[in-house]
Amino acid sequence: MAKLILAFNKQVIKEYPFTKDSITMGRQEDNSIVIDNPAVSGYHAKIDKVGGEYILTDLQSTNGIFVNDEKVVSHKLSHGDNIVIGKHVILFVATEKEEIEGGGKDKNLPLDKTMLLDTTKQRELLAKQKGEPLTTKLPEKIGVISFLDDSGHGDIELRKKLTKIGKAETSEVRLSGLLMGATAATISRRPAGYAISFAGGMTKLKVNGAVVKDSVPLNDFDTIELGSHKFQFYRKELRIS
Amino acid sequence: MQIKSSGMTDVGLQREGNEDSFSVQDAFGLYMVADGMGGHQAGEVASRVAVEMINESFSKWSKDHVPPDEIFGFPDDSLSREGNYILGSIRLANRVIYEMACEYEQYNGMGTTIVSLLVGSGLIVAANVGDSRMYLVRDNRIERMSKDHTIVAEHAEMGVMTEEEAARSPLRHILTRSLGSSENVDAEVFEIEPSSEDRFILCSDGLTDLATDEEILKVAQKETDPQRLCRRLIDLALERGAHDNTTVVTVFLDQVEKKRGTSFGTLGGLVADTLNGVGRIKRRFGL
Repeated sequence: MAKLILAFNKQVIKEYPFTKDSITMGRQEDNSIVIDNPAVSGYHAKIDKVGGEYILTDLQSTNGIFVNDEKVVSHKLSHGDNIVIGKHVILFVATEKEEIEGGGKDKNLPLDKTMLLDTTKQRELLAKQKGEPLTTKLPEKIGVISFLDDSGHGDIELRKKLTKIGKAETSEVRLSGLLMGATAATISRRPAGYAISFAGGMTKLKVNGAVVKDSVPLNDFDTIELGSHKFQFYRKELRIS
Repeated sequence: MQIKSSGMTDVGLQREGNEDSFSVQDAFGLYMVADGMGGHQAGEVASRVAVEMINESFSKWSKDHVPPDEIFGFPDDSLSREGNYILGSIRLANRVIYEMACEYEQYNGMGTTIVSLLVGSGLIVAANVGDSRMYLVRDNRIERMSKDHTIVAEHAEMGVMTEEEAARSPLRHILTRSLGSSENVDAEVFEIEPSSEDRFILCSDGLTDLATDEEILKVAQKETDPQRLCRRLIDLALERGAHDNTTVVTVFLDQVEKKRGTSFGTLGGLVADTLNGVGRIKRRFGL
């Protein structure tokens, strides 16, 4: 069985055999390894046993974790790795069997096989940690179109994955105009960000003055024209109440 | 709109069984790739159950025009009706696989990824769980229409790791979500407007592990036939050692109508009168 040895100022404090599939370390008392030190986050890091491998993951801690003097976010542990959390050091010791078979190398290693990490625990811990600053977590952003004409639309948040703009009653953004298409343009939220597409009708779609026949990605403060309508795109932080 | 599609799978050069499943349903425009995991053929079962369940529930709900709040789980207001059918179908498939995995010993721990493409009229719905991907090739550019659910992809999104580091990391195969591993699952769903000559490529990580997005784009640009494109992409994985099962589904769109002319129809009187007027004027001048 693998084990972890917790040390402070080169003094061994305690040994922890790896008996579960997942262990956590941090300042809060319900961690498997409790490290009572202000430099340590409530739930600082965890180690999961995934198919014979031990994976160390930073739980978005304030001060991060270092393995053998290198900052890591997630790391496959090898025998003898030094995990540094604040001023504490945790030494990872693989069992003899694991050491011989795996040797810390990728020999028998099924890591090119897909495996699943149980993240339930991690999410629970992250939720509990709310009070602490999550330095790496990006705030979610939502797109907004802000009308610059006198249509009276003002600012519209793009809450749909696909926002239809046009004359049809089913459009999320209804625009008037003699030659406006039933759906004249659509704005979609894609993995890489927002993009606008021309959808139909006789009214031209222009982004920053250039006619769009198909689709273009949208950047903050792009100006969009549809016939006589004019609006600007930008993203703002989504506040969850 | 014209749709041409194809699907192909290959066990690869190192695995004994094929745990991938795919589905090509031109009848209701639904295309899927699933990459199963779990020993003793359980992975194969998980991926097949996922694909079959989703086909079944989606086709039933869309045939019956079921209101979105009557499908499995709460509807997502940011999605269209079709988007919600896909979301609900994925949730349902997850629950079925999860319960099978809990109930039967031989299926303990099984799971699968899923990536699905729905080509509706005037709407494309892309959805995924896990690390099987969907690409859109449009205007000679390639764009991912799926989000990987892996530790490294999440780190890359947070900005603590670059995309290149993520692609090389030994942890790149560790999933944070899959179908069958927990009672509930959140699928990533995107909706876009289709466009003529759109090409979609759905694939398992057997391909994306060995080829970059740019390399996939290059191959896709050269092929005009969906079946040949599947073949070429799988051959690429085989040339590079194919350490995993590789599955590719390709969907090519054509003649997508951008309703340019129809606005006259909806304009009614005014323009129609004007056009009649043009005819009258022309006739008057003997044209």
